[in-house]
Amino acid sequence: MLRAGQPGGAPPLEMRGVRKAFGPVVALDAADFHLREREIHGLLGGNGAGKTTLMNILYGLYRPDAGEVLVGGRPAQIRSPRDALGHGIGMVHQHFLQIESFTVAHNVVLGTPSSRGLRLDLSGAEERIRTLAARFGLDVDPRALVAELPIGARQRVEILKALYRDARILILDEPTTNLTPQEVDALFGSLRAMVDEGISVVFITHKIREALNVCDRVSVMRAGRRVLSVEGREASDEVLVRALVGEDVDVRRSLLFSDERAARPTPAGRPALRVEGLSVTSPQGAPALRDCSLVVREGEVLGIAGVAGNGQRELVEALMGVRAAAGGRVWLDGTELTGAEAARVLAAGVAYIPEDRLQDGFLPKADVAQNLILGFHRRPPYGRGPWLDWPAVYDAARRLIAEYRIRTPGPHEAAVNLSGGNIQRVMLARAFSHPCRVLIAHNPTRGLDVPSTEFVYTKLLELREAGAGILLISEDLDELLLLSDRIAVVYRGQIVGTLPRPAFDRYALGRLMSGVADGG
Amino acid sequence: MAERALGPARPRRAGVDAALSYAVSVAVAFAAVGVFLAAMGFDVPRAYGTILFTSFRTANGFAQTLLKFVPLLLLTLAFVVPLAAWKFNIGGEGQLIAGAIGAGAAGIVLPGLPAIALIPLGMLAGIAGGALWAALPAWLLYRFGINEILTTVLMNFVSFGALDYVTTEVWPDPAAGHPTSVPIAVGARLPLLLASPPLHAGLVVALAVAAATHVYVNRTTGGYELRAVGANPRAALLHGIAVRRLSLLALVLGGALAGLAGALEVAGVHHRLIEGVQSNYLLLSILIGLIAKGNLIAVPPVAFAIAVLDVGARAMQRTMQIPVEVVFVVEGLILIFVLLSDVVRRR
Repeated sequence: MLRAGQPGGAPPLEMRGVRKAFGPVVALDAADFHLREREIHGLLGGNGAGKTTLMNILYGLYRPDAGEVLVGGRPAQIRSPRDALGHGIGMVHQHFLQIESFTVAHNVVLGTPSSRGLRLDLSGAEERIRTLAARFGLDVDPRALVAELPIGARQRVEILKALYRDARILILDEPTTNLTPQEVDALFGSLRAMVDEGISVVFITHKIREALNVCDRVSVMRAGRRVLSVEGREASDEVLVRALVGEDVDVRRSLLFSDERAARPTPAGRPALRVEGLSVTSPQGAPALRDCSLVVREGEVLGIAGVAGNGQRELVEALMGVRAAAGGRVWLDGTELTGAEAARVLAAGVAYIPEDRLQDGFLPKADVAQNLILGFHRRPPYGRGPWLDWPAVYDAARRLIAEYRIRTPGPHEAAVNLSGGNIQRVMLARAFSHPCRVLIAHNPTRGLDVPSTEFVYTKLLELREAGAGILLISEDLDELLLLSDRIAVVYRGQIVGTLPRPAFDRYALGRLMSGVADGG
Repeated sequence: MAERALGPARPRRAGVDAALSYAVSVAVAFAAVGVFLAAMGFDVPRAYGTILFTSFRTANGFAQTLLKFVPLLLLTLAFVVPLAAWKFNIGGEGQLIAGAIGAGAAGIVLPGLPAIALIPLGMLAGIAGGALWAALPAWLLYRFGINEILTTVLMNFVSFGALDYVTTEVWPDPAAGHPTSVPIAVGARLPLLLASPPLHAGLVVALAVAAATHVYVNRTTGGYELRAVGANPRAALLHGIAVRRLSLLALVLGGALAGLAGALEVAGVHHRLIEGVQSNYLLLSILIGLIAKGNLIAVPPVAFAIAVLDVGARAMQRTMQIPVEVVFVVEGLILIFVLLSDVVRRR
């Protein structure tokens, strides 16, 4: 059962000076966090701001490199989720950790003392689950099979798992991502009921409006630090947007921010890529991309801004011909490509830098040269009729390795030995190795260090100068502001606004991205 | 599992490493089994001498080895070609039987045709039979995404029933004490390379097919696509490769290769359909494919080596009463050590 909240005194949770680096990437640097009793605390931040890393440290999934965690005023060593639960900390992940072929009750008791030993006392557990569910409005049948439950109910199971283990601090990571508005309202109701019973809630989100609606207090993280904490009633979306996107222009990436570029002429080339009314339905039947229309002109970079999961992936996959569109048409230079397979899209003059280079673009078991020809292997000089001209392939690979400074012993080297930055150089060398009319680049600099990022930017702008149209889909607002001639913002599968370069305004973009404002 | 050598030329150092790890694996496997044989009181040097040299002491032994080598080679290709696309064809023996039935049917039903027509027809019927037998699992994979390991294995059992039906109901040979069909026409039989001991011309066919398979997989754009699908299907799809169609093709191609093996067994060795024509070739071929790590250059020598061990083991059983299974243990250990050496080298 739930223990009573400690009156006054020490806060239930405090984190001080937390640092965490993954190799050269510093995810958290001197981050702190302060949770009060009986509050819903919103933790807001963009992608890679460190909010999930911070909470994973709290839950024992990562060890901090430095810093300390205090639970109830006492330093706590949290080495595993079991330790975290021992300190009364429960976490609901974005991706549920559930066994689908088990019932709700089985999933809830799994790993608790009552599930060990020889006999499993389920009736008692089911009774307790029912009690908890009724008390907090977490409606779910303990005997239902998890596999048959909708996402919203599975999330309630996840919350019940934490409550069943007497969690007094509940962390929810992006809990509203896949929920309907009604489910979101119900979730907020349940959270409020928990707070009333003395539980403290950390609510990780990137949606400003949600944070404003439900949270007693909001902290904003940016670049591995907490930059702001405000009372919910004092917060406004203006304050939060400013904190989210940052004001300190001085720290922006070195050479990449010069004023001449900021005021470059608007390209007025012919349309290279034209998309009209493109719609994509997710496998579950929900609309993932709705009536999307856009034009990329010759010599233009059209940026697509948006928080991940708002239809970007579906847009790219539909354009590349690997996902069937539910409606809409696509033209390249006046040639209709609607419904064309990937091979035809590539042959028509589209080059592609995939979002997830390891999953979407890389052959780990092949060698470097074989990776460099993927997608171009049927064209001269590599493919001649049914034959592959290996000497030509390896000659070209040697040239590309030199030109793109791919650090590898040679074209025969197993690709699996390449580092992340060098794999991305392979992706770029491949995309740029043939003349193209349109380049689709999806998060082309994700996870890259500064020199590699600059290299990508240089290459993209060279291609723009050469007259190609570039569709740049990115979650990095700075990158979009730097490179784009226009920026279109997607939110929930729709383009909610398009800004031309003279009208670029990160606050306006931030609002569009969060769904706070309409139009543009 | 096994890393596959995709490119034509590879650095010399890696080749030396690989050869060394194979040699050590084979030596350790023989040594480990030798300890047990010695403990059981057998004459280990003589036993191993029999296993290793029976194939080379007499012309008959060598011919026997080559006769085993032919189906082993083709069945291994039937496993390895789909493996390049990371599809697992465990239905080689069912496809071999279907190919045998196809070739047998042509040889029994069309006795009037001249050899110049009947032999190629029998081969084609065998290839078609094997391809069809693999086509059902391949289609189930293509259309519904049903796992091909399961379906290809299950099709093996269907083929046993089909062979039993053909040899006992359709064209039974009542004089035989074992489910056997009537003989195929003389004109359907493969010419002999060597009259005594008999060695049929299927050896040439098998070697030519192995060479063609190597060229297809390693030198053509189609083969590159096959291997790209095997390495990362999603990346292949996003870069214009028809992943599902290629997976289907790879399995059907494997079935065709196994079907040809069955046709050669009927037209070259048995001259009739006979229950048990598949022998234990499926297991051995998977073993060969894995020891060769799917490398098409390595497959023929490894298949030959396994044929040598198989013939030698049977001789050893005859002359020394050491059970033939000893050699299966050796072969299994070789595979385990080869795979282990990969793990060790990666550290």
